[in-house]
Amino acid sequence: MRRWLVACLSFVVTAALVAGSAFAQTITWWEHSNPPHNNYSKELVADWNKTHPTMQVEYEFFAMTPYFKKLSAALSTRSAADMFTVIDTLLPSFTTKEVLAPIHPEWLGYKNLDDMKKAYLPGALDGYIHDGKLYAVPMIAATFSLYLNRKHFQEAGLDPDKDYPRTWEDIGRVGQKLVKMQGSTMTREAFDFAMHSSAWTMWYIEGLTRQYGGSILDPAGKKCTANGEAGVKAMQVRSMYVHKYKISDPTVSLATNALPADDLPKGRVSMFITHAGSVAQFGPKVMEDMKVVPFPQVNPQKPVSIIYGFALAVNPHLSEAKQKQVHELIRHVVKNPKEWYDKTSYPYPSANFLELPGMDEARKTRYLDVFIGDIKTGTYVTRTAYYLEISDAMHRAMERVVLKNEDPKASLDQACKEIDSALAKP
Amino acid sequence: MFQQRVGWRWPSLSLQTRLCWAGFLFVLPALLHLIVFKFYPMVEAFRLSFYKYDLMTPPVFHGVENYKTVWNNPLFHQSFWVSVKYMFGVSVPEWFLAFALALLLNRGMPGRPVIRLAYFFPIAMSQIVVALVWKFMYNPLGVVNTLLGAVGIGRINWLATEQSALPALILIGIWRGIPLFGVIYLAGLQSIPKEYHEAATVDGAGPWQSLRHVTIPLLTPTILFVMVMSLLSAMKVFLNPLVMTEGGPNGTTRVLPYFIYETAFAYHRMGEAAAASMVLFAFAFALTLIQLRLLRRGGVE
Amino acid sequence: MSSRALSLWGGRLLTILTIAGIGVTLLPYFWMLSSSLKTSSEVFELPVRWLPREPQWSNYPAALSRGAFGVYFFNSAVVALAVMAGNLLVCSLAGYGLAKFRFPYRELSFRAILSTLMLPLEIVLVPTFLVVRGLGLVNSYGGLIIPLAVDAFGIFLMRQYIKDLPDSLIEAARLDGCSERGIFWRIILPNCKPALGALALLTFRDNWDQFLWPLIVASKDTLKTFPLGLAQMEGIDSAAYHEIMAIAVIAMIPTAVIFLFFQRAFVRGIALSGLKE
Repeated sequence: MRRWLVACLSFVVTAALVAGSAFAQTITWWEHSNPPHNNYSKELVADWNKTHPTMQVEYEFFAMTPYFKKLSAALSTRSAADMFTVIDTLLPSFTTKEVLAPIHPEWLGYKNLDDMKKAYLPGALDGYIHDGKLYAVPMIAATFSLYLNRKHFQEAGLDPDKDYPRTWEDIGRVGQKLVKMQGSTMTREAFDFAMHSSAWTMWYIEGLTRQYGGSILDPAGKKCTANGEAGVKAMQVRSMYVHKYKISDPTVSLATNALPADDLPKGRVSMFITHAGSVAQFGPKVMEDMKVVPFPQVNPQKPVSIIYGFALAVNPHLSEAKQKQVHELIRHVVKNPKEWYDKTSYPYPSANFLELPGMDEARKTRYLDVFIGDIKTGTYVTRTAYYLEISDAMHRAMERVVLKNEDPKASLDQACKEIDSALAKP
Repeated sequence: MFQQRVGWRWPSLSLQTRLCWAGFLFVLPALLHLIVFKFYPMVEAFRLSFYKYDLMTPPVFHGVENYKTVWNNPLFHQSFWVSVKYMFGVSVPEWFLAFALALLLNRGMPGRPVIRLAYFFPIAMSQIVVALVWKFMYNPLGVVNTLLGAVGIGRINWLATEQSALPALILIGIWRGIPLFGVIYLAGLQSIPKEYHEAATVDGAGPWQSLRHVTIPLLTPTILFVMVMSLLSAMKVFLNPLVMTEGGPNGTTRVLPYFIYETAFAYHRMGEAAAASMVLFAFAFALTLIQLRLLRRGGVE
Repeated sequence: MSSRALSLWGGRLLTILTIAGIGVTLLPYFWMLSSSLKTSSEVFELPVRWLPREPQWSNYPAALSRGAFGVYFFNSAVVALAVMAGNLLVCSLAGYGLAKFRFPYRELSFRAILSTLMLPLEIVLVPTFLVVRGLGLVNSYGGLIIPLAVDAFGIFLMRQYIKDLPDSLIEAARLDGCSERGIFWRIILPNCKPALGALALLTFRDNWDQFLWPLIVASKDTLKTFPLGLAQMEGIDSAAYHEIMAIAVIAMIPTAVIFLFFQRAFVRGIALSGLKE
């Protein structure tokens, strides 16, 4: 009798353990904090958990700035999540160290990588390919476009639909009619750049530099070329609204604070460059007074704009079976680009995005054409594992030029010195 | 009075040896903890300073290259001096202002408990709250500029102007440090027996002389204690530059701990960061040793 | 001027300075409170609004809903209280050992312990994390608490304080046959209340707002402390400052309460220790 009981018990216990371990299967997903899209991510997780009782997803998100550092620390100690969202600018830091698992297009339902590329806008996947392999799947593609305040334009006797700036010089010209002064203090800026983060600085400056035909690094990625002719011109444009046109004033703008996109809805600035997600962040009421136009150009015949994106990457230390599961999860997350757009106003770079049913409405009211247009002419920022050091050096150079009126060439020379010494380190 | 306790004893050992062991055992838990969680990581960090380690691939031996790189890095030198400026910029005013505060509160003043409460309240505020609130207040459109505007001073972009960013942070350090060290001084003042002051007055000393010849000499140990602790805690400050200025503008608020953090976790050069931290540690150690020497000399008679 | 007049004017000046000083000291608090009750557009209005037009009490529940703040505050409390308890116990033990006993290498140990005060956490962050991981404590309360449970500052404080306790008390207890353990619990600790109070307050405050260590050690949302929640409220390019201030106000309450409770003991505690090396 006893022996029978013991056998029964051990069977029950083993069964429980087995069932328990089946129950205990989880996929962890880490993201950075970005309130509009975190909520949608949570919804997607809830959906998945309903239909996958034995493979639950645990979703965690962290403040943006420390997220990368936490992720690095976690990857270094093999305690990172199974799947994590990565911003494309920082991807090379990981791909060059091989701490990401290569993505298998077959597990996502494509025949191979080329097949997958066709499903996306041209160049959309390039930012995530290293050495011929794909390392992350895009979640959103964001681009920078010019937002302007219709009311301010109309008050100044301008027609926002006809007189909007197409070039950087246009901004200067138009801005002179929009800026408001009280004595010698500026009370309303006509235009400003965000100044609070080196990431934004790089997006602007790379965009400008490429428009002038140059680049930050040489093609091999080993030497800094930001102080070449194109770079200097780019820096001049970056600072000319403060010094030459006098339609910007860093002391008026909160852009030196972590609230750059707040100036526009509050009416402190008439024109501002920000990304597509701001449409959702500002809300429909504010957007009634806004108009979005393409990213300003040096040469409107040859437009170049800047895109960045968030993508999903896979932890390389997982078993193959688990990696397959994670790929399933990725498919689930990106399967509905329209919903992504509706909930977060971030476009998805799939090839057929504009033709999806229901997009017509958005094209009319939410400037989707503008954003997709900018995505089509867009390039991702330079791919380098030294991205953060480079952007910090460029940010300091920008601060010197804008805040102290230092000579752009001298400033960029110093930045290149710093960048070159960083690149030289093994 | 005390019950006869048959405690655990080592009957064969002498009292002295037993006490020796007892003392050691009392200190043991703390020592063990510190060895595991402080000393060992420190030794590891020292070891890592001789390796190239990017956090994600295994460390590679690199000799003293990291120290050379750090030494040749102008950004390191900038950070070092920013730290030094910050440390002394915060501590030195603290030494005097906290003392003045303590003297002030030591006089019988109506409503003293309430005043004391008001002055010492900043001690209760969390670091991160301090950083956020002051960031708010220093905003170009914020309170500080408004108050200055009322006195006719133009708008200053405190946290985004090279000349004003570090002083702005130093001001916060002082704001927070004065109550803390003021308490220490106040306590010291209150522990000076009144007879000393009375004797001095009887001898014909005025308030200033009493201060110079009675109070300060008696307070020397306190003063030196404050000097050591204020410098050490100012050296470690890191949260404010992180939250408020991200080390800018143009690196003028990048204190050394911030440089170390960035080098390790953003630029993925852990070995270099470790080398830089060894330099910082050596500096702190030397500084403290010097002060402790002085402190030993300043005994109480 | 007569010395009476001088001291009268001196007194008035002093009063004015005192009031001004209090004003400067309390200004950030006032600003924090006021901002927490404003609407998001009032916060940065020009010219500056000192008081909200209408107090937006709803900011508080709104802010709390931005993250699992109930859990975050609970975690911060657990960490702060546990670390406080750990420090109170272990530091008094060590302080007693260093103050009243003689054993070989005692002074060396003391100086080595002091040297750990010179380490900012960031320097040893990764090695410490590796230790914690080796002990299997990552992503757990243990990992959050244990590495912080002993700090040299507490040891220093208790040592100084206990040094001043009369040896005769201890001798008498020994003669009466009290065990060393008993002496510690029955004689030393009860006489240390001011120092313990001060240590409790300072340790609680310093650990109540732990940010960096929980960031690295914890990734489960259920383990985060409130500063992590605060940091999360800032998005890529916007932040609801009025709500952030609301959380900051709430965050201040426990420390303020403990401070009010302990401030008597706090002053006396610092008073009688650390001053006579």
